[in-house]
Amino acid sequence: MVAHALTIALAGNPNVGKSTLFNALTGSHQHVGNWPGKTVEKKEGSLRIGGDDIIVVDLPGTYSLTAYSIEEIISRDFILLEKPGAVVVVVDAANLERNLYLVTQLMELDIPLVLALNMLDLARQRGMHIDVRLLSARLGGIPVVEVVGNSGIGIESLKEAIRSIVRRDFAGSVHIPYDEAVEAELPALEQAVGNAGFARPRWMAIKLLEGDLQVMDQVAQNGGGALVAAAQAAMARIEAATGEDAETLLTDGRYQFIMRLSDGVLTRSIVGRTASERLDHVLTHRLLGLPIFLLMMWGVFQLTANVSAPLVDWMDGVVNGIFGRWVAALLSVTGLSGTWVESLLVGGVLAGVGGVLVFVPVLMALYFAIGVLEDSGYMARAAFVMDRAMRVVGLHGKSFLPMLVGFGCNVPAVYATRTLEHEIDRKVTGFLVTFMSCGARLPVYVVVGSAIFGAQAGNLIFAMYILGIVVALVTGFVLKRGVYRDQPPQPFVMELPPYRAPRLRDIWRQMSNRTGSFIREAGTIILATSVVIWLLLALPVDGQSAFDDVAPEQSAFGALSQAVAPIFAPAGFGNWQATGALVSGVVAKEVVVSTMNQIMIGESLQAGATAAEADAPSLLDDLGEIGTSLVETAVLTVQETINIVPRTLNLIPGLGVPEVTLLDTGAADDTTALEASLARLFTPLSALAFTSFVLLYTPCMTTVAAMRQEFGTRWALYQVVYALVVAWAVAVLIFQGGRLLGLGG
Amino acid sequence: MTLDLLTAGQSAVIRRVGGSGALRRRLMDMGLGRGVTISMIKVAPLGDPVAYNVLGYQLSLRKSEARLIEIEVA
Repeated sequence: MVAHALTIALAGNPNVGKSTLFNALTGSHQHVGNWPGKTVEKKEGSLRIGGDDIIVVDLPGTYSLTAYSIEEIISRDFILLEKPGAVVVVVDAANLERNLYLVTQLMELDIPLVLALNMLDLARQRGMHIDVRLLSARLGGIPVVEVVGNSGIGIESLKEAIRSIVRRDFAGSVHIPYDEAVEAELPALEQAVGNAGFARPRWMAIKLLEGDLQVMDQVAQNGGGALVAAAQAAMARIEAATGEDAETLLTDGRYQFIMRLSDGVLTRSIVGRTASERLDHVLTHRLLGLPIFLLMMWGVFQLTANVSAPLVDWMDGVVNGIFGRWVAALLSVTGLSGTWVESLLVGGVLAGVGGVLVFVPVLMALYFAIGVLEDSGYMARAAFVMDRAMRVVGLHGKSFLPMLVGFGCNVPAVYATRTLEHEIDRKVTGFLVTFMSCGARLPVYVVVGSAIFGAQAGNLIFAMYILGIVVALVTGFVLKRGVYRDQPPQPFVMELPPYRAPRLRDIWRQMSNRTGSFIREAGTIILATSVVIWLLLALPVDGQSAFDDVAPEQSAFGALSQAVAPIFAPAGFGNWQATGALVSGVVAKEVVVSTMNQIMIGESLQAGATAAEADAPSLLDDLGEIGTSLVETAVLTVQETINIVPRTLNLIPGLGVPEVTLLDTGAADDTTALEASLARLFTPLSALAFTSFVLLYTPCMTTVAAMRQEFGTRWALYQVVYALVVAWAVAVLIFQGGRLLGLGG
Repeated sequence: MTLDLLTAGQSAVIRRVGGSGALRRRLMDMGLGRGVTISMIKVAPLGDPVAYNVLGYQLSLRKSEARLIEIEVA
């Protein structure tokens, strides 16, 4: 027989420690991606038991296996179609009855099951005692293994149980008995299912009686139309006989089975209020709840926007400065120095790599914050506290966090939508986070604002932030009331899990897995775009200049900008310089200002690269610089972390707490020359239209790549087109409206 | 009466789960079955949703969802 890797699946309710167990089983042998074509994360890992290689697939956390949510369909389809050798169902011992509901559904699928009973320690603290042997016996002898996922206790026994179950023939577990009226119909229906050639007759018959849409469709498409009709007739008879619909009777049957089963298995003694309940009293307090929530969210924002900033700068400096010099030095050995090859590698490829890597600290910070919030149990409370307010605009309580994170950077904001349970909520929130004015857009408002509005620049900046929020809320409203008008409202129905200390090892694993998948999946697009932009700037179109030695106006980039420029005439900035800045802003919004610099004043973008030619530092100097700059970065990170406190206090008007400065990073870039030429290019009205356009148009390519990874190519394209149209419409509206009001052109 | 009328600290037995489709399925999957005891813990700071205790765990429902559940106060 050919040796083949065996697959097992990990199933369980959310918040039962499934990830911890998955980590304990597979260690670092993991791969994180998405389920094909879905916005749901797929984790896969491997382990060795005895001499066998076993692949472990972590199914999405679900409470049930119906056809109503993608997570449940994914889990069900995986079990039915991929036929794993066994399913390990992780059960929270402190929440046994509700967790057993999923177990009953898995039992009906007739697959080898192992029950991993987790969190027994917590159950004992809550005064619960579970008779494990009796539990196993009443479940028809399926192995029940006690585990404490985060300490590794029970992992070996679990492996042993998995090994024994995948080796022996699965005997099948007990049948869950249902109401008489249902049981009267089941044999005939099972027979008919079997005759029609479908597998798992009892499960299929039950699902047909339940009115499961996916199963009905599948049966009807495979020539089982008569079967569906028979099921519907049976449903009608059941309802006539009992006055209840079959779905209710089936659910009742499962819970009654669970209640009978737990009688004797589970004994409770009365305990006082748990620490978790006391904590919850404060965190969701009628008066304190909202301020605490806002403070937590502010903390997350500070972490992603400011604390990660020094690391971002360091990453940028190392990749674009030092690595650039190394590439140049290497090329000079091969005699390619100064050629277009160097330019491509430094200006195209390396810039693209830098463009990917600078997001690593930001995403790590975000995933850390999300990990702590979710693992501690606070995230569910955040939704609980905020839901009422967010629902007014058709969003979920958990939409607040991605939107807030968006003010720092849109890329982590897109990934932050993973915290939302329902796909539509995720997509809608992801669609509108890009209108949150991110940190990279701020320099544009600052430069244009101080050039045109002088001391009034602050008002412009404030107006831009507000405009972004308004457009996001209107977009959310339109999507919910328009595009998803016919979708039933997403149920809120949410568990509030007990609080617990976040497990840093699991959080770290999640941070590195998810950041790694960003680099793999979003990295390619970013690299490709970077090379394309380089190519456009290097290609001459005037027929005289040489390749890679051409002024911006004469390059393909300049030609493209000139061709596009007339579109912006109605918005008051139909010149190629402003358009060129916008075109390059597609790569990254922080490039808008430097492109304007390059085009209008002829200042080189590649200041680092030209300096390298003049006086190349030695390799040792470079290594030293990486080291010292890393130390500086660490100091600055500490500084930014400390400064969260004064920044938070300064939110209170009139309180001027000074921020800590541990390290002077020198003055900001000098933009006086640029401001002078901007003053000639823009009127106040066209400047307002221009900054509004910068705020609203196509998010940067990294955000687009993130959206593509999370929501698919089509959804990302919709967003890009929508953002362009809205940005243009708003800019034109501002410019033309302003002129009509006589505000001058 | 319906579940949304339950006050903090009060408990009741579920008689019937109303609604339809995904919402009803979800309510039943989360343990809201006939004969199950449920008690109200607290209302969110903004007045909605509401936290309940059922089968030994905490569940949060919007008032519009709680209205679909018929109960009998013990």
